[in-house]
Amino acid sequence: MKHLRVNSRLFKFVQLAVKSLLQHKLRAALSILGVVCGVAAVFSMLSVGEGAKRESLAQIERLGTRNIYVKAVPLTEMQQAKFRANLSRGLSLTDAHRIQKGCPDVQDAAGLRELKASVFSTMKEVTPLIAACTPNYATLMKIPIGSGRFISDPDMQESKLVCVIGHGVAGSMGALGRIGNYLRIEDSLFKIVGVLQRLESKVGKSGAIRLRNYNDMIFVPLAVANLASSTGTPYGALADPEVTELIIAVNDEKQVLRAVPAVKRIMEIAHGGAEDYQIIVPQELLNQSKKIQRTFNVVLGSIAFISLIVGGIGIMNIMLATVSERTKEIGIRRAFGATCTDIILQFLAESTLLTFTGGIIGILIGFGGVWLISAIAKWNTTVTMLALVVPLLTSIVVGLFFGLYPAYTAAKMDPIAALRSE
Amino acid sequence: MKQNNEPHLIAALGICKRFHVGSSTLKILENIDLRLHRGEFVAIMGPSGSGKTTLLHILGCLERPSSGSYRLNGVDIIAASDDDLSHIRANKIGFIFQTFNLLPGLTVYENIEAPFLYRSCEHLQIKEKIMDSIAQVGLGERVKHKPSELSGGEMQRVAIARAICADPLLVLADEPTGNLDSGTGLEILKIFKKLHAGGAAIVMVTHDRNVASVADRIIYLKDGRRVDEASASKQQAV
Ligand SMILES: Nc1ncnc2c1ncn2[C@@H]1O[C@H](COP(=O)(O)OP(=O)(O)OP(=O)(O)O)[C@@H](O)[C@H]1O
Ligand SMILES: [Mg+2]
Repeated sequence: MKHLRVNSRLFKFVQLAVKSLLQHKLRAALSILGVVCGVAAVFSMLSVGEGAKRESLAQIERLGTRNIYVKAVPLTEMQQAKFRANLSRGLSLTDAHRIQKGCPDVQDAAGLRELKASVFSTMKEVTPLIAACTPNYATLMKIPIGSGRFISDPDMQESKLVCVIGHGVAGSMGALGRIGNYLRIEDSLFKIVGVLQRLESKVGKSGAIRLRNYNDMIFVPLAVANLASSTGTPYGALADPEVTELIIAVNDEKQVLRAVPAVKRIMEIAHGGAEDYQIIVPQELLNQSKKIQRTFNVVLGSIAFISLIVGGIGIMNIMLATVSERTKEIGIRRAFGATCTDIILQFLAESTLLTFTGGIIGILIGFGGVWLISAIAKWNTTVTMLALVVPLLTSIVVGLFFGLYPAYTAAKMDPIAALRSE
Repeated sequence: MKQNNEPHLIAALGICKRFHVGSSTLKILENIDLRLHRGEFVAIMGPSGSGKTTLLHILGCLERPSSGSYRLNGVDIIAASDDDLSHIRANKIGFIFQTFNLLPGLTVYENIEAPFLYRSCEHLQIKEKIMDSIAQVGLGERVKHKPSELSGGEMQRVAIARAICADPLLVLADEPTGNLDSGTGLEILKIFKKLHAGGAAIVMVTHDRNVASVADRIIYLKDGRRVDEASASKQQAV
C-alpha cells in the first residue's frame, strides 16, 4: 500500500514536470538537442559497429575456424626464377600430403585451383568461376549438395571428365543444367554429376581470402585441371597437380593455433625457404577482428561519453536558469508544505524527463540514421537490445546527475526569501 | 506528531525576531506573547512595518523565531525539523498572503489543487473538495482561468479557496481585504465569517478597523511589540 502511494506520488511529480515543460516547449526542445545528438550518435554507432562485427564474424566463420589456408602467392618472373633455384615448384597437392603426414593435429587437407577457362553452353547472365578441387573440398568447406554427388575419389583417381555445378549455373542452363548432361569447358566435354544447393550468396573478402559464391561455380576434379584450363598444358592429367589454395582441416578448433607453427615449418622446408605461399588462419583473423572491435568500442564509448556530458551540461545550464526564474514558485510551494525532498523531486523529474525525451527522440533519429546508412552505404547494420537500452539508460542517468545540482539549489532556498523575490 | 489536549491551539511565548543587516541588528519582533483557542478569530492591527507579516510567518511555521517558545496544536515548533514544519504547513495551516502568491502558469483549479501534492492525508474526493471551495468563494465560472485573467479581488478569492480547501485547523490571512474596494472586501469578510462559524481558528492581519471588528479579539502591534488599544490608536491618529 505504501509502495503504491510512493509510486502515485512519483507519477504526480512526472505529471507536474510534463506540465511545466510544456509551458516552455521551444526552450525544452532546444535544451535537449545535445542529448538527442549524443544518443542518436551512440545508437547508430552501436548499430553500425554490431553490423560490421557480425558481418566479419560470419565471413570468418564461413572460412571455417577449424581450417588453415595455404595460398599460392602470384609471382613475378624474377621471383619465379629465384625460387626455382631454391628448388621450390610452387604450391601443389604434395604440400598437402606432406603436412598431413608431418602434423598429427591435421585431419584432412583439400586443394583447389581456380582456372581461367571458357564455358560453352547456352548460359546467360552468369560467368561461372571454374575451380578444380580435390573430392574432400565440399566436406571441408561444408558445401551442401542439392542433387547428385560431389566429385568422388574415383573421379580423381581415374581423371574422369565430370563436373559439379552451382545452383545459379544450373538455373541459367535450364534443361541442359541437369545431371547427366554435358558441359563444354575449353575443348573437353564434362558430364554433370551433381548440382549444389542454393546458398545465400555472400561474396566478400576476409583478410586475404576470397569468399566464393558457390552458386556461380563449376567444380571439376583437380586431376583434370589442365584439360579444363586455357593456360595449362593442353593434354593429359597430372600426377602432382598445381593448386592455388590448400585447405588444411585440424582435428579440433582448439588445436589450430598449435598446428600453425608445424604447418609453417613443413612448408618452409618443402619450399626451401621460398616465400611463394602465404599461410592464413581464420581463427587468427577472428581474434584480430575481435581486438579491432574492442578498440572500436572504446573509441565509440568515449565519443558517446563526451557527447552525453556536453548534452548534460546543456541540461544543467537550462535547469539552473529555470530554478532561478522560478524562485517565487519554489517559495510558494514551500509555503504550502513542499519539503526539500519534494522540491528536489520536482526538478529532478523535469531534468530527467527532458533527457529521457531527448533519448527517445535520439533513438528515433538514430533509427533513421541507421536506415540511411544501410540504404546508401550498403553497410550491414544490426539494432540490438543493447544499442537501445544503453543510450536510453545513459540519458536517464545524465538527467539525474546533471539535474541534481540545480534541484539541490532550488531545495536549499530559504522559503521566505523565495517568497519575497519578484 | 502527537496531539495532546492542550487548551490552546497556539501558545507563543516571548517570540523575538531579529535580522542582521551588515553589522547592525534589526529587532523586528520583541517578546510577543500570544495564545489562541481552537476556533478563535483574532485580528492583528498595527502600522506598516510593525512586524505583522513577520509574526504571521512565524505563526505559520514559515520562519523560525530568533528566540521564544512556540507550540502549535501541542507540537513544539522550535524543536521540530524542517520536514515536520513542511508537513504542518501542508496539513494544518492555510496561508493567505498579502500578495496572493498564485502560480501564474496554472489555472484557478490547478492553483487550488497544487498544495494537495504535499498533503499526507488521503483525500479521496479532492476534486469535489476543490470545486466546493471554488463555489464557496463564488468563482464557479472561473475554474479554467489563469490568474492573469482575473481581477485582484478574484485572485484574492482564489488564494482563500486554496488556503481553506483542505479544512485547516488554522487560517492565517495577511490583509485579505487590503487591496480591495469595500464592497469586495465585505464579500471576502463573509467567507471568513463562514469559515469561523465552521470551527476554524483564524488570525487575520488588517488595517481596517471595520474588518477587525468581525474578530473575537484584536491584537495591536507597534514596532514589534504588543501594545494595548489605547496606545495603538494614539499612534494611528498621528
Ligand atoms: N529578511 C529581512 N531582512 C531585514 N529586514 C526585514 C526582513 N524581513 C522583514 N524585515 C523588516 O521587518 C519589518 C517588519 O516587516 P513586516 O513585513 O512584518 O511588516 P508589516 O507589519 O507586515 O508591514 P505592512 O503593513 O507594510 O505589510 C520591516 O521594517 C521590514 O523591513
Ligand atoms: Mg505585511
